[in-house]
Amino acid sequence: MSLERPVPRLAGAWGALGLSGLGLAGLSLLLARQEAPAQLGPAQPGLWLVGITALLLLGAVGIRQSAQGEGHPARTVPAAATLILLVLAAEAALRAYAVPTGLIPTPSKVLEALWAARTVLWRDALTTFVYEALLGFVIGTLLGLGLALLSVRLRFLERGLLPYAALLSSVPIVALAPVVIKAVGLGVASKTIIVAVTVLFPVLINAVRGLHSAQSMHLDLMHSYAASAAQTFRDVRWPSALPFVFTALRVAAPLSLINAIVAEFFGTEGRGLGFRIQIEVGKFGLDVVWAAIVVASVLGISFYLVISLIERRILPGRR
Amino acid sequence: MSEGGSGKWVVGSGNGQGRVQGMTTLPASTPRRVRRPSNLLPMLAVAVFAALIYWPVMLFANQGAAQKALDSGADLGCKTALACATQLRNPVIPAPGQFWVGMRSLSAQPFSATAAPYNALVTGGETLLGLGLAVVVGLALATLLVRSRSFERATLPWLVASQTVPVVALAPMLAVLLGQAGVQGFLPKALIAAYIAFFPVTIGMAQGLRSPDPLQRDLMQTYRASGPQTFLLLQLPASLPYLFTSLKVAATAALVGSIVAEISTISFSGLGKMLAENSRASDTVALWVIMVYGAALGIALVALIGLLERAVTRWRPVA
Repeated sequence: MSLERPVPRLAGAWGALGLSGLGLAGLSLLLARQEAPAQLGPAQPGLWLVGITALLLLGAVGIRQSAQGEGHPARTVPAAATLILLVLAAEAALRAYAVPTGLIPTPSKVLEALWAARTVLWRDALTTFVYEALLGFVIGTLLGLGLALLSVRLRFLERGLLPYAALLSSVPIVALAPVVIKAVGLGVASKTIIVAVTVLFPVLINAVRGLHSAQSMHLDLMHSYAASAAQTFRDVRWPSALPFVFTALRVAAPLSLINAIVAEFFGTEGRGLGFRIQIEVGKFGLDVVWAAIVVASVLGISFYLVISLIERRILPGRR
Repeated sequence: MSEGGSGKWVVGSGNGQGRVQGMTTLPASTPRRVRRPSNLLPMLAVAVFAALIYWPVMLFANQGAAQKALDSGADLGCKTALACATQLRNPVIPAPGQFWVGMRSLSAQPFSATAAPYNALVTGGETLLGLGLAVVVGLALATLLVRSRSFERATLPWLVASQTVPVVALAPMLAVLLGQAGVQGFLPKALIAAYIAFFPVTIGMAQGLRSPDPLQRDLMQTYRASGPQTFLLLQLPASLPYLFTSLKVAATAALVGSIVAEISTISFSGLGKMLAENSRASDTVALWVIMVYGAALGIALVALIGLLERAVTRWRPVA
C-alpha cells in the first residue's frame, strides 16, 4: 500500500495469504473437475481435508502477520482475509465430501441462487425491509419518543408506564406475533405493527433515561438565566437525550429486520424474506435460504451503518 | 423493579428524581434518594386504563365477525352483532371471560402434556441449557479475543456484524440439519438457543476481561501473580457483571431461538409446538394464553439471571 516505506513483514503476510487463498480456490476448482467425487473412495476426502487444513493454517499465519502494526491495512486485512479464506475452505471441504445441496449448499451454489432468484428476492426484501422493518421502525421510534416526552412531563405516567415498558421489552416477539397476525390479518400491516411494538419499548426507556440525564449544573445554569421550560428543553434536555436515543436506535435497527423476518414465520400473503426462508426450508432448497439470509444480513448491517452515520452527523465529537 | 427489567434498558427514574431535586430547591448536600414513592398506584392506574381501552377495541374488532356469523345463520344465543361480540367461537380478540376460560382449561392440570405450564417449563429448560452452553463457548472465545490481538482483528468485525445478521433465520435450517444428523429431542433447540446467545456473551465477556484498570493489574504484578492467577483472581471476577448484562440481553433472543426451533422441527412439547398447533387450528384464545405464558417465561428468565447476578456478584452494588 505505502510506497515510500517498504514493509517486509506485510509482504510476507501477503505471500502467505495469497498462497493460501489461491491454494483453496485451486482445490475447489480441481474438485469441481472431478465428475463424481464420491467415487474417489473413502480414503480420499480425508486427504483433501488435510490439504485444506494445511492451507488454512498457512492463511492463519498470514493473518497473524498482517495483523501486526497499527496501519490501516493491519486493521482491515485480517478481517477480510478471514472471511474470504473461510468461505473458500467451506467451498473446498463441502465439495470434497460431496455434501448434497439439500443439506449444506456450497458458497458458489448460494451465489448462483442469489443471481437466479434475484427478482423474487428483490421483491421479498422490498416487502420485508421497506414496508415492514423500516415503516415499523419509524412508527415505533416516533411513538416511543412521543410517549417519552409525555411521561417526562407527567411524573405519574412515567412511574406507571416505565415499569411495564421494562417488563415488556423482555417478552419474546414470537409470543406476540401469532396473536397480532390473527387479529390484524396476514398482510404487511400486522408485521409493521409487531416491529413498531418491539422498537417502541427500547426507544421509550432510553429516551426517558436520556431526558433525565441532563447535568444538574447545566440545568442550574439555565435556571439562573431564567430560561423558559421550552428553552431548557431545547438547549439542554434534548441534546443530552440524543445519545441515549441513538443507542436505542442502533440496537433496534437490525432487530427490526430480524423481528419482521420472525413475524413472517407465522403467516404472510406469500412474500417476504421470512416467508421465503420458511417455504424453501420445507422444499430443501437451502441454497435459496442461504441467499435470503445473505440478503437479510447485508440489509441489516447497512441499516445499522446508516443509523450510525446519521448519529455521527448529528452528534459530532462523540465516538 | 429497576434491576429486574431488561438488560440494557433499565429504568432510571430514581436517578432523574434526585437530579431534579438538586436543580430546583434542595442543596447539593441532601442525600440523593430521599424516599421514592411507590410505583404501585400509577402502575395500577395504567393497567386500569389499558383494560378500559381493551373493551371497546375488542367489541369493535369482533363486531364484523359476529355480524358475518349472524348473517350466515349461526345460533350464538344472542340477537345483535354487538351482543355477540363477546360470544364468538373464534374471536378476533378474545373477551376477558373467554380468555379466562381458555387460561383455566390450558393450565388446569399444569403437568399434563397439553398444558401450557408444562410446555413453558420445557422451553425454559431448553433456553437455560442453551444459555449455559453459550457461556462456555463465549468464555473460551472471549479469552482468545483478549489474549491474541491478531485473533481479535481477524474475527471481531464479524462477531459484531453477526449481531445484525438474522441468526434466527438460520434456526429452521439448523433444525433440519441437526435432525438429519440424528440429534433429537431437547438438544437441537438448546443448540440453536446457544448459537444465538453466544455472540452477545462473547462480546460482553471480552469487554469484562479487559475491564480491570492498570492500577489493579499493577497490584497483581507486585504480588508476583502468574498469568493464570491474574486471570482467575482479577479478570474473571471483573468480567462477571458484564457477563450477566449480556446474558440478560441474550436470554430473550435465545428464548425466541428455541421457540422458533420448536416450530420448525418435529417436536412433541414446548411453547413453540403449542403455537404451531393452535396457529394452524386458528384457536385465538389459546394463542393469547400462550402469549401470556411466553411473556411470563421471558420475564422470568431475565429475573432469574438478575437473581443469579445478585447472588454471584455480592461485592459490588447492582448498577
